[in-house]
Amino acid sequence: MSAATVLAPLAQAAVPRDTGVFEFLLDGQRWTGSPGILGDLLDTVLLCAAVIALSIVLAVPLAAYLAHERKAQLASAWVVNIGRAIPTFAIAGLLVPVSLRGGYGFEPWPIFIALTLLTVPPMFLSTYVAVKQVSPGAVDAARAVGYTERDVLTKVELPLAMTVIFTGIRVASVQVVATEPIRAFLGGDGLGRYVRDGLGQRNQNLVIAGAILIALLAGGTGLLFTAIERLVKPVGVRRLGRPKRAGRLQSADPLGLAGEGTEGTAGSADRDPVVAAADRR
Amino acid sequence: MTGAIGIGAGVIGTAVTNRNPILRWSYFTEQTESIVEALVQHLQLTLSAVGIGLIISGALAAIAMKYQWTVGPITGTTAFLYTIPSVAFFGVLVPYTGNSAITAIIPLVCFTLLILVTNILDGFRAVPVAVKDAADGMGLGTSRRVLTVELPIAMPYIINGLRIATVTTVGLVTVAAIIGYGGLGRLILDGLRRAFWTPLTIGAGLSILLALLLDLMFYWLGNAVTPWTRRKRT
Repeated sequence: MSAATVLAPLAQAAVPRDTGVFEFLLDGQRWTGSPGILGDLLDTVLLCAAVIALSIVLAVPLAAYLAHERKAQLASAWVVNIGRAIPTFAIAGLLVPVSLRGGYGFEPWPIFIALTLLTVPPMFLSTYVAVKQVSPGAVDAARAVGYTERDVLTKVELPLAMTVIFTGIRVASVQVVATEPIRAFLGGDGLGRYVRDGLGQRNQNLVIAGAILIALLAGGTGLLFTAIERLVKPVGVRRLGRPKRAGRLQSADPLGLAGEGTEGTAGSADRDPVVAAADRR
Repeated sequence: MTGAIGIGAGVIGTAVTNRNPILRWSYFTEQTESIVEALVQHLQLTLSAVGIGLIISGALAAIAMKYQWTVGPITGTTAFLYTIPSVAFFGVLVPYTGNSAITAIIPLVCFTLLILVTNILDGFRAVPVAVKDAADGMGLGTSRRVLTVELPIAMPYIINGLRIATVTTVGLVTVAAIIGYGGLGRLILDGLRRAFWTPLTIGAGLSILLALLLDLMFYWLGNAVTPWTRRKRT
């Protein structure tokens, strides 16, 4: 197939087939060269960071407000369900010709929008559930001592819900990083290119090296967010201690839809609410 | 297939033009066979992955309920499998299982396990102790108690788990196109490689429709197996 088109063909990472997996990964030239692993890593990290930041801004304040007001419970459940049904690769694919028609090129808008659609629903859900699960006693007490509704939300509900909200953000962020590599199959580069080029060149070692890089970044993202989670936990909440909190935040009915089958307890501090927030690609 | 996966390097060019519109309707009649074939493969991959996932998850959940200490390791392992990036998982298996359906199915199954195990366990945990005691008191044996009393109560959770797992899998199957087994995902990837938008749009559109349809189906199924929740609501 000829490569003479409007779009310059992407540079392939040319790697001899007899290069070992670790020989490739530990070669400094592979990291600093052009195209190099560092450059691709930066590409991926920047895109993911932008997606995560935008999703937090879109999902968390709105979900916290709606949960505080106890509004839009059914609508939220439907948004989350439909959000889950959206396959990221398909959405990004659909957006490619649209983006080209608008003159924005193959990249990065289609994958950016698709990843944001992937991330917003679970973040919204975990925030909604977290705020809704704050003990009514605490909220009533705050109202009784004269807190305004705004104070109730920002000084009582959000600090108490923070741990669960952040767990949701962590899970969604790991999903973003784990999904971003499909960008390499959508006309972009990023860390997924080594798997793509390896598959294209039938170079197994390159595929495995690429997979290791992607997996390490996803794992690292999880660790990073766990660390942030510890840092942002409000001092007062830290003093509450674990057993009490775990008990209070438990609820089997995240969006008030019992009977339809619920989505796991996003509340328990001991258990990962991966499934409650689970949304993948 | 060409050796290298070059994207957008097509003869048709990348621009959206009259000759290469986003969707040409006549493609449906011209290429009915390949579209149906892709749709069928998509369904096959999804259903077999969720089916195998359900069997494995059922066994894992049974072990977890019988031996409490296994809950942690089982949840941990399935959670780990769940976070493996899809592109990496599919790619890494190619050297071992080749470009076969197995290579596509293994990651798909692994991705369903966490969702299914968690929901099955949640379901059986939702059975009130008093109900179990009543069943024991009526003289039901363990297997009859589990099958006729606990399972119906756990059913909405299990169906919900199946719903999430199925919809998620429909999306993930498209990614399996990178190893040549993506069902509708192959239309997407072929469309991208050739910068030919009609198959891309059809593949993506149909996979989204399929996900929504299956989601709706499980919603109805969930209602159908829990008639008592409807009685309670009205």
